[in-house]
Amino acid sequence: MNKKTYKIKETLSNALELPKDIILDVAKVTLIGSDSITVENHKGILEYNEDQIRVNTGSGVLIIIGSKLNIKSILQEEITITGEINSVGY
Amino acid sequence: MIIIRLWNFLRGYAIIIVEGLRIERFINMAISNGIYIWDIKKQSYTSISAKIGLENFGKMREIVRKTDSSIVIKEKRGFPFILKNLKRHKFFTACVLLLVVTVYMLCSYIWMIEVVGTKTIDPKMVMEIVNQEGLKEGVRKAKLDKRSIENKVLIKLPELSWIGIQIRGTKAVVEVVEKREEPELIGKADACDIIAAKSGIIHKILVLNGDGVVKDGTTVQKGQVLVSGTIVRENTETRLVHSLAQVTARTWYEDAEEMDLEQIEYKNTGRKTIQYVLKILDKELGFQKTVPYDEYNEVREEKNIISFGNYIFPVKLISKRYNELVEVPKTLTVDEAKKRSEERLNERLKLQLSENAVILDKKINYIVEKKSVMAKISVEILEEIGVKKRIQAK
Repeated sequence: MNKKTYKIKETLSNALELPKDIILDVAKVTLIGSDSITVENHKGILEYNEDQIRVNTGSGVLIIIGSKLNIKSILQEEITITGEINSVGY
Repeated sequence: MIIIRLWNFLRGYAIIIVEGLRIERFINMAISNGIYIWDIKKQSYTSISAKIGLENFGKMREIVRKTDSSIVIKEKRGFPFILKNLKRHKFFTACVLLLVVTVYMLCSYIWMIEVVGTKTIDPKMVMEIVNQEGLKEGVRKAKLDKRSIENKVLIKLPELSWIGIQIRGTKAVVEVVEKREEPELIGKADACDIIAAKSGIIHKILVLNGDGVVKDGTTVQKGQVLVSGTIVRENTETRLVHSLAQVTARTWYEDAEEMDLEQIEYKNTGRKTIQYVLKILDKELGFQKTVPYDEYNEVREEKNIISFGNYIFPVKLISKRYNELVEVPKTLTVDEAKKRSEERLNERLKLQLSENAVILDKKINYIVEKKSVMAKISVEILEEIGVKKRIQAK
């Protein structure tokens, strides 16, 4: 997606109040407490260790750091990770 | 998600261990091929454990080949494997099935019948008739026609005004309402005499309506007419009226009681034995041991041991407690014997007295013999003896 189309889509979604994750194809990250994280719209796992998981998304690589991390379930569009999560970032 | 899990349990799933250097690639390929994997855990640096549905297992081979990893099934879980296991243990399965079927069967029968609501009728009699009409212990619930049984019992037992059969679990509760026995009503318009309910001497007679036949001081016999409702006058037609009168009379009551001086009393020695017997349906299982005492009394307790709420099964544990008794011969003194017989006489007297009776005089005479005491009571009572009796129209 080039920058021009991205800008148009962003403006459009802002104007029409449409959910950005659908229009722009970016990830929607839901963190529940500190022991469960759900990433919707992901683009695959890049690294999986007990203390660090890297997930590819439309807006960059999401890095989840913690301990005893497990992948509770993984589907084409959604991944749920449980464990003690310390930090989440791009 | 739980629906997917349940689905997977029903379809069966396997816990696999995947080993390889490119685990992440393996996971990504799996999901892009539409394979659902869950509960992924890191085992070591190069291996993970995960759960995978059985039907997807075939698709794994290709991915395994492409990612240069190896795959091992650690455990198979889910319904298909449980079924497989059960097939292997045929006897066990048969036993479990038999048990389930037995419990189900037992639940569909009636194992206990209870009669409630009886006042003057013996519940056993109701039970007997109910049994005759087909509601017995061990009858199938589905076969019961409650309405027709209720109707038939009502016809057979005219004393009942209502009957209801309720089935609660394995118990049938027969609820009955008895007819209240109505006294023979003599309306104000009906002609009647007043007769004596007891023999005695008229103390006072107050005639409000009708012709008084007796006077104060007359000795009357039981059943004798005191006030006549048939009024005969010269020159007029004979009339029938509804008699009204208050008749009080002195009556006598006599009773006797003989009390032996030599009495045998039973005393509890404190020693006891308890026997347990299992009762299934009507059969008692267990060893009937002989009771090691010469004299004893038996306390019997029955307990349902298998019951789930209202579902009671016909298995009972009966405990029989035998208390040893010992004979203690006791010689009463004359005074003690007198006292005891007097107590008994008084008790019986109380039952005989009507509500508005007044005791005028009470005498107790004792005849003391060698081995016993005879007590005789005679009581003079002032009571109402008038009873209405309908005059049968000719």
